Amino acid sequence: MSSKIAVLIVAGLSVLCAQEPPLDNSVKINLPADSPLTLISANLGESHVSQRGSAVVLDLDMALTLHNSSMNRVRGVTLLVAAQEVTPGGKASVAVPSLDVAPNQNFPVRINLRLLRPAQMSGGPLVQVSLDGVLFQDYSFYGPDRLDSRRTMTAWEMEAQRDRKYFKSILAAHGMEGLKHAMLETLSRQAERPRLDVQVSRGSVVSSAALPEHNVHFAFLHFPGAPVEPLEGWAEIAGNEARNPRIDVRNLSSRQVRYVEIGWIVTDRQGNQFMAASVPASGPGFNLKAGSTSRVLQDTALRFSKSGGGQVSIAGMTGFVGQVEFADGKVWIPERAALANAQLLGIMAPSPEEQRLMDLYRKKGPKALADELNKF
Amino acid sequence: MTHPSESILALYAGGDLGWLARRRTERHLARCGECRGEVQGFLAVTDNLIQSNALPVIPWSRMAAEMRANIRLGLAAGECVRSEPLSGPLAWMSNVRTLAACASIFAVVVAGTFLERPSPPSPPVAARTGAILRATADGIELNQGGETLSLLHARTGEVTYSAGAQGSMRAGYVDSDTGNVTINDVYVQ
Repeated sequence: MSSKIAVLIVAGLSVLCAQEPPLDNSVKINLPADSPLTLISANLGESHVSQRGSAVVLDLDMALTLHNSSMNRVRGVTLLVAAQEVTPGGKASVAVPSLDVAPNQNFPVRINLRLLRPAQMSGGPLVQVSLDGVLFQDYSFYGPDRLDSRRTMTAWEMEAQRDRKYFKSILAAHGMEGLKHAMLETLSRQAERPRLDVQVSRGSVVSSAALPEHNVHFAFLHFPGAPVEPLEGWAEIAGNEARNPRIDVRNLSSRQVRYVEIGWIVTDRQGNQFMAASVPASGPGFNLKAGSTSRVLQDTALRFSKSGGGQVSIAGMTGFVGQVEFADGKVWIPERAALANAQLLGIMAPSPEEQRLMDLYRKKGPKALADELNKF
Repeated sequence: MTHPSESILALYAGGDLGWLARRRTERHLARCGECRGEVQGFLAVTDNLIQSNALPVIPWSRMAAEMRANIRLGLAAGECVRSEPLSGPLAWMSNVRTLAACASIFAVVVAGTFLERPSPPSPPVAARTGAILRATADGIELNQGGETLSLLHARTGEVTYSAGAQGSMRAGYVDSDTGNVTINDVYVQ
């Protein structure tokens, strides 16, 4: 009899403990009053907040419908997702590049997020979503640009034009069969692309500090026409961990450069090459005048492991200039032919547009791909 | 003549037979060359394994004796501390099941009280150390002091990841509902 009473008490307490905090005040969406995008709806779907012990868990599955209320076609949108109490000084973003949204059209943006934090923290929404930037067809931009969305989306749009131009030229020269062949080659290259799992850490989270550490120097690839050239660089390597990359670069152009991004490839002892990371110039203070030299450096630790397990023993490193932004906001990216000649297409991740075109081909076939290319 | 089984011979070779069985096997071996050969074979194999460090030398008989002694000691200790059974109004306390039920209820009430009471505020930002960004099976996760923020990529096929040495991780995928490329970035500073 006493055991039955205990079961009833346990069940009652479980029900009390399982009560979910309300979702209403957990998410806040901020769009400026003069925003070219307006919020039509925010569907929270199966989103829910639950309490686990002394922690609260937010599972957000949100579908936003935005309206282009500008007079220009929208090419990309970046939303800033902030949960400041969990990510002090940190942030997240959800961007949708490769759009083609006409004025007065609606388009969806989906945000899937999970947040785990102590239950008893100061009030206010758990997550705040705000607009960081909108890129239009003519490369004009709107937004506070806290995440450098202008440069990032401009580079994506330039890559999109570059890659569409490549596939369109194949379509024009070799017809549907040629396009099909090129797309199969791209799909195969991406399927075979060696991948690395990378863990990025900052602060005092370095576990392999006991391993012997040595400096490994970068070898550099040089692209014709690149406005910046890498001179020399190195990183501290300990086992499968690389720390504090430093790269000296020179501005070869006649214009002032405010951002340089170096692509970083690591080679293991078997000679396999992996795209490890990008090394951007540090901070807003970076300023590379015409003809001058400066250093790209980051105080961070990257730990590499092979996809599916297994450590990577780093034997060599290669770098290349992947992106440059001039002081006037213009952006330079490598030509597709330069990437192909340097055999980087099989190592780098595809551009967002190439990823979209591959997906379109896979799902709808070559005719739909050709129709899509001919839209632009 | 009835020969001992192979397992008996193997146990004999290892010195693991009981006294009576060992005597019986010894008597048989004294007049059976075939079984003596079997035993010699078992001994040779054991020696080889020991020499190659493949088999640890374990004194099974001594271990068995120690285990028996420990069990006896435990039983004797139990007898020493056993008290007289309760009688009268406290007799119900001797019911082990009742005690277990009460303990369970007490644990649940304590846990419930603990869960409902206000938690102490989280440590200040400056006290937190080490933020880790990594790709997981369903997204990118930022973990800082046990608190996590993950951007997930539901309803998608191929995902491409890239890391930024300034402390960022990016996942790019095509949302299968909308057909749009979506790029999730998580930053740590």
